[in-house]
Order: sequence, then structure tokens, then C-alpha cells
Amino acid sequence: MALTPEERGARRNLIVRDAISLVTLFLITSVIFTLTLLLFRSFTKHRQELGARWKARGERALQAGHPGIAIEDLRSALAYVPDRATEIELATALAEAGKLQEASVYFTTLWESAPGDGTINLELARLAVKQGNEDQAIFHYQAALDGTWQGNGYDRRREVRLEMARYLISRHEDSKARAQLLIAAGNAPDDPAIKLAIAGLLEQANATEDALGIYRSVAVRREPPFAALEGAGRTAFALGMYRIAQDYLSRALASPLAAHFSGDEEAADRTMLDTSLHVMLLYPSFDLTPRSRAQRVLAIRDIARQRLTACVSTSPPGSPKLADVVSRWNQVPAQLTVSQLEQQPNLEQTIVLLGFETETAAATACGTPTGNDALLLRIANNPYVVDQQ
Amino acid sequence: MSNPPTQPVAGASPAGPPRMTLAAAMDRIAPTRDERLFLVLSIFIGVISGLLVVAFRIAIEWIRLLTLGSAPHGGQFRLLLVPAVAGLVVAALVIWFFPAARGSGVNQTKAALYIYDGYISFRTVIGKFLTSAIAIGSGHSLGPEDPSLQIGAGVASIIGRNLNLSRRRLRMFAPIGAAAGLAAAFNAPISAILFVIEEVIGSWSAAVLGSLVLSAISSVVVARWFWGPEPLFRIPSIALRDPRELMAYAVLGVFGGLLAPAFSLVLGYLRPRLRALPRWTQFLQPAVAGLLVGAIGFFGFPQVMGTGYDVIDQAMHGQFVWQILLALVFLKLLATTFSFSSGTPGGMFAPTLFIGAMLGGAVGAFEKHFFPHLTGTIGAYSLVGMGVLFAGFLRAPLTSVFMVLEVSGNYSIILPIILANTLAFLISRGLQPVGIFEVFTHQDGLDLPSMEEQREESVLHIEDAIQPLSIPIVEGSDTLEAVSRAISEAHSTACLIRLRDGAWYAMSTDELTSAAATLVPEAQIQGALKADRTPLLFPDMPLDNALHFFPRWPLLPVLNRASRGTVEGILTLDDVLRRYRGSE
Repeated sequence: MALTPEERGARRNLIVRDAISLVTLFLITSVIFTLTLLLFRSFTKHRQELGARWKARGERALQAGHPGIAIEDLRSALAYVPDRATEIELATALAEAGKLQEASVYFTTLWESAPGDGTINLELARLAVKQGNEDQAIFHYQAALDGTWQGNGYDRRREVRLEMARYLISRHEDSKARAQLLIAAGNAPDDPAIKLAIAGLLEQANATEDALGIYRSVAVRREPPFAALEGAGRTAFALGMYRIAQDYLSRALASPLAAHFSGDEEAADRTMLDTSLHVMLLYPSFDLTPRSRAQRVLAIRDIARQRLTACVSTSPPGSPKLADVVSRWNQVPAQLTVSQLEQQPNLEQTIVLLGFETETAAATACGTPTGNDALLLRIANNPYVVDQQ
Repeated sequence: MSNPPTQPVAGASPAGPPRMTLAAAMDRIAPTRDERLFLVLSIFIGVISGLLVVAFRIAIEWIRLLTLGSAPHGGQFRLLLVPAVAGLVVAALVIWFFPAARGSGVNQTKAALYIYDGYISFRTVIGKFLTSAIAIGSGHSLGPEDPSLQIGAGVASIIGRNLNLSRRRLRMFAPIGAAAGLAAAFNAPISAILFVIEEVIGSWSAAVLGSLVLSAISSVVVARWFWGPEPLFRIPSIALRDPRELMAYAVLGVFGGLLAPAFSLVLGYLRPRLRALPRWTQFLQPAVAGLLVGAIGFFGFPQVMGTGYDVIDQAMHGQFVWQILLALVFLKLLATTFSFSSGTPGGMFAPTLFIGAMLGGAVGAFEKHFFPHLTGTIGAYSLVGMGVLFAGFLRAPLTSVFMVLEVSGNYSIILPIILANTLAFLISRGLQPVGIFEVFTHQDGLDLPSMEEQREESVLHIEDAIQPLSIPIVEGSDTLEAVSRAISEAHSTACLIRLRDGAWYAMSTDELTSAAATLVPEAQIQGALKADRTPLLFPDMPLDNALHFFPRWPLLPVLNRASRGTVEGILTLDDVLRRYRGSE
């Protein structure tokens, strides 16, 4: 049905009114939008500031050794600006505060979202160490080594490897620790401090020979660190390499840096040096002239026989080793001169070896020797490396 | 004391008789105006609701920072003082200025839809915004979602009224605004739409669905412009590792199903008793509730104060051990009961999500601690826990599933969610048949439709009342005499006539007698039929459809959809009425 003129006018008015209403609505929306935007910006900025402030406070508390305070601060920081670094710091604070279960749950959740994260794996490994869970510890240490790291991943991985090695040493897993340390040594930069740290750990892992190699490699520098000289001397001494020990220990003790050494440690080094010197004075080195060597062999004979006589007289009869040694000494000519020995290198060698065996058997039957017998026993333990260069 | 919302009664509303006259005039001069405006305004409603919800959340956060400080923790006396003082302020504002701002907002929106023709006053919107922001910001254990829903509905109502829309359109605007408000609050449009359909409208309606979607999407676009596209919570990595893990989620569903009715019972018990106290106590109730909530915070659990979104986030990221999570479940339940029962404006959604997340986290962390190989991430359990309590307590099972999916953005968790939510919903409904919103409705003295019942009402179909064919079928070409004989042989009162074009005609003996009086016995029966034909009815059609045909037809043939020539049975008025009586 057609509209009347009045109705058409009403419709026109309605359209105009609706258009005005919509424009008004648009303007109202714009005003609300502007107000909300201003409110939002100020709010967001304030949140960022709060997040940064609480994070800084938490980190300071953590560094100052107040993990309890750090937990609260970092939680507050996370409420305003959540990020993974803060989460890791919070979990670390939980662990440091002794809240191991909470820390474990937190780190596990973080790990589930980023199983390849080196930091998270390292912290989980540390937690497992604290909880005495060796399998988990090794798993997470290994995952940390294989994982991704923010910043200098090369250095962080080495630190993780050393930490893992320390843990393995504490668990008496020396061979596994040695393997990790050798990898670390192979990848280590030419930094004496790092190499010395690795060498020290190798010593703890009873990989003395490997440690000696690293100490010596550091000691060849133009200005060798005192620790390298001292470490090389100490490890060489432990390995029975008295010539090398004598060399490094004398250099170490002559170094001006030795003044910083504690009295006990210096005394220990001096004892080792003295022992090494005495061993070298007794050792029948093939580098000596034939005469000198023969003289030392005769000296060894005399020392060993005296030790045997004393031991046999004091120990109860029936030691088959002693009896064997006595019987073999009886086969050696009683009267020998230096010249005779010079002519008979085989006899010389037989006497030296018999002397070593005598000291070993006497030590077993009659207890720890002293004086020259002790020196001879040291040589007897590994005679072929004593004067190794 | 019962204090229903002070909305205008239907007769006195702006949508009263004068509006009807105007509406009639509008229908004549611009018949499609409302329909077109409806869609455009849905977008405006969405945008404005989104902006207001963003402002609302910022207001809550600012108030929290200014009153409780940036890092509230146990032992601070302000935790005791602030919620109590805020309770006094809120009570005064609600009682003196904004009486309709009391409560969560869901039932008020339903009341606006079903009782007040979609009317929500500007004052209510302002009051809801202010009082809820003060209450939640100062630490009361309530959430911003339900108020957001009411704010959105209020915006829609104001806009609709100012554009003189028809009463029908105006009524439908409230849920559209509600969806927008909720969508912006949750940053989850699908869940918001589903919730409004499940809890406010109660049924799917194509007429309103388009507007719901437009407004919800608009509001979420606005909210995301401000907050970013990230979901409400930071979601940890979630995956179902092993199908056996579903057992663990089932356990969570059972716990949720047991906890939800307990929460309902506590609220349903305390709320009416506090409301029945003398009027002057209503000034003090929110303050006392604030003091109790503050005491929980003061003595070491400040996590229960406020919305608790950050705590949910922390729980999902494994920051709590299961013992703490379990403690938070019960303390939050207690705190929310105090805050909500005291009449403090604020919603139930956030506390429900909080309790669910803590419960899920506790169950997950417990299982992970004792059965580490069976369970996945704790975050997944927290997430599913939220849905579990949503389904069990708020009784919106569909929304609960989609909410978790939308919030997590991860569909790999759908199986655990469906399993746990279904268990929680069924157990909760078995233990507490009346949903929490319905409980509140009854306590408020209103009689709003129960959406849960509506959803589950069984609709009767024709097949439920159909009877076997007991009357003769004759052809249209048969003679009157033959038809009469067939009817008398069958001792029937009617017959069905099959016509050549496939149509049917149900003829009573009276009609046949009338025809016989005017026609010869050899005349074909189709010549005696009136112009109309019996309607086409099939067994799967609603029984209601058949009712209005009976004054005209003595009975109705029910046909086979695959073959209209085949009669499945017949339907009489008596059969239909008997079936309805039987289903009562």
C-alpha cells in the first residue's frame, strides 16, 4: 500500500534521525575508545615498570643469597611481565631456598615446554643431584650439554661439563668423569685458568697422567703459572716420574709466586722435591756412566740386603716371597766390585730388579720402610719412568 | 531478605503501550528498518562492550595496585583492611545508588530478557562497572566476567532503546550485548556465544545467531587490539601422551563432579540466610566478607584475593606443589562463598575457573608425583580442571569444552576435556539436580526458565503417538457405494482415500453420508471431496505440528518419507492428547 505524504515525511525524518543516531553512536564509540586507550597505555607502562622493578629486586636478592625474598619478588615480576628468564630465576630461587619439590615441579613444567633448553636442564640436573637421583642428574646434564643456550653456549656447555664431571667424581664414577674432562680439555680454549681447572679435576678423577699432560702443556708458556708448575711437579711425583717432578717442583718453589703459597703446601712441595732429588741420586739411570751406574747398583744391593736381613730376623718365618728373595740373593755372588759389575750388565740388571723385589716383599712382610728403603720402594713401584723426561 | 532487582515492571517500562503505537507506525513506514539496524547495531554493541570491558579490567587492576599494592603477600595489614573498607563502600553504593548492581549479572540479564523486555538501565551499567571494579580490585574473591556480561547487555539495552527499536528486537539485544561482554572478558567468542545460548537464551535461534556472532567477534577484536591475540592464560605445552592417561583425567572429572555440588550447596545455604538478616546488616555484610577474605590473604594465602588470573597462570606453569593447590581449592571456595553470599557485586566465573585450575593442578601434580609415567603436564590438568568445574558448577557443558579449547588454542586436549567435563557434569547433576543459577533465581524470588531443563526437555514426535492403520484405504476412483461398503465392513468411522496425484484425503462417515445424499451411488468418491487435502505428516515431525489440523480432519495419515504411497499409521486427536497426558 502506498505511503501518504505525511508517512513519507515521517520516513524521511526517521532516516535522518537514524543516521544522526548512528553518527552519534560512532562519536561516542570514538570517545570511549580514546579514553580506554589512554587508560590502557598508562596501565601497560606501569605494569612494565613494576615488572622490571620486581625482577631487578628479585635478582639482587638472589645474588645476595636471599632466595626467600627473591621468590616473592620474582613471582611479583612474573605477574606483570611473564618471561622464561624470570621463570627460570624463580625456579632457581625455589631450589636455593630448599623448596626442592616446588622447584622440581616448576622446572619440570618449564622443561616440558622447552625440553631442549640448556639452562632448564642444568637446573633440573642440579635438583636431581640434591635429591640424590643419579640417573635423572646424568640425563639432564647430558641434555644440558646437547641443549640450546642463550648467549655464549660454548662456554656454558664447558661449565656444565665440568660441573657434571665434579658430580661424577663425587659419585666415584672416575672413568665417566675422565671421559667428560678429556672432552672438555679437547674443546677448551687456550686459557690457562680453564686448563688448570680441568687438570685439577682430572687429578681428582685419578686421571693423574692426563692431568700431568695438561699441567705440562700450560707450563711450557713463557711465564708459566705457578699452579701449572706445582701441579706438574705434584702429578709427576705421584706417577713416580721423579726427574720431571724434580724439575717442575724446583721451578715452582723458585717462582716468586710461591710466596703466596700456604706454609703447609710449600712444605709438602719441598718434601716432594727432596724425595725426588734423593730418588734421582739413588736411581741407576742408564744415562749415568757405567761406573756410576755400577756404584749405584752396588748401593742398591747393600740397602736391599740390609733390609732383607732385618726383615727376616724380625718377621715370623714362612713368608714364601721373602724365602724366594733370600734364595735368589744366595745365588748372587757375595763379593762384587764396581769393575766386575761394569763388565756384566745382565748381572747389574738382575741385582737392581732383585733389590726392587726385596723392598716390595719386605714392605709387605715387615711394614712401610723408611730412609733409602723407602726411596728404593718408590723406584720399585715404577722403575722405568723415574728418569723419564 | 529478598531484594529483587529494581527494574521497571512490564507495564511501566519504556516499552509500554505508547511504544506499541509507535512500533505499528514504524512497521508501516519502514518495515525492514529494525532488521537492518539490528545487524549494524550488533557491531556497535560489540565494539562498545569490548571497550568497556577492557576499561573495566584495567580499572580492576588499577584499584588493586592502588589499594593492595603491586605485590600483596601474607602478613600485610592492608590485606585485612582494604577488602573490609571496600566492602563498606560497595555496600553503600549498592544500597543507596545501584540496587540492581547486586549479584553476578547472569540472572539479571536473564531477567532483563524474560521479564523486563530487555531493559537494563544506564544506572545499572554504571553501578555494575563501579561497584564490581571496587570489590574485585580490593581483593574480594569474585570475577569480572559476569559483570562484563551484564555491562554488555546494558550497553545493548541502552542503544536499542535510544533507537526506538521494537519490543521484540529490544528483548533480543540483551543477550547479544551479554555475548559481547563475555567474549571480551574471556577473549573467547565461541564460548561466549555458546554460554549465552546455553544459559541465557536457552535455545538456538537463527534469528539471533548472526547478531550474536557479530557482536561477540566485534568485542573480541577490540579486546585483542588492546590485550593482544594471546589467550587469557599462558598455556604450557600440552599433549596427550598415552591413551591410558585418560584414566587420570577421568579421576579429575570425578573430583570435579564431587566438588561442584559441594560449592553449590555452600553458596545455596549461606546466601539466603545472609539476605534474610535485617536490612542494616547488608551495609556490613560485604565488609565482614572482605575481612574474612582478607584474613585468608593475611595468613598466607593472598592468592585467593581478586580474580586470581595470575595464580591460575602460575598453577598452569607448575609453580605450586599439590598440597598448596589443594589448600587453595578450599580457601578460594570459602572466600568466594563469603564474597558472593554477602551480596558484593562480582561474578562466579573467575572463581570457578580458579578452583577448577587448582583442583586440576592438585590432581595432576599428585598423580605426577606418585605415577610419573602415567601423567602429562600439570598445566594440562589445570586447564582441564577449569573446564571440569565450569561444567559441574555452572552447568554449561558445551561452553566448558569450547572455553578450554579456545583458551588453550590446542585441540589435542579435546579428549580429556570431553571425558572429564562429561563425568563432572553427570556426577554434579546427579548429586545436585538444580543448577546454581537456578538456585539463585529461586532465592531472588524470580521465576526464570531453567535452561538446563529446557535443554533436556524431550520433544514428542508423531511417531510417539502413531497408531496402526485400522481404517480402510480406498482409491479416489472407487464408487460411493464401494467406499460405504468398505467402511461398514471395517466397522470404522472414517476412511483414507488415495488420490491419483498421490495426495490423501481422510473422510469421516458423516461426510460420506452427506455426499451420498447428493450423489448417485455409482459416482466416484473423488467427486465428493472438498478442495483441500490432508497434510503430509511423517513420523519424525514434532507432535505439535499435528495438533492444529484436527478440527478439520477426523484423523491424519502418517506417511513414509521414502514412499508417500505407504501409510505408516494414523493419528487421531485422542491419540495425541493421550500421549501428552502420558508424558506429564
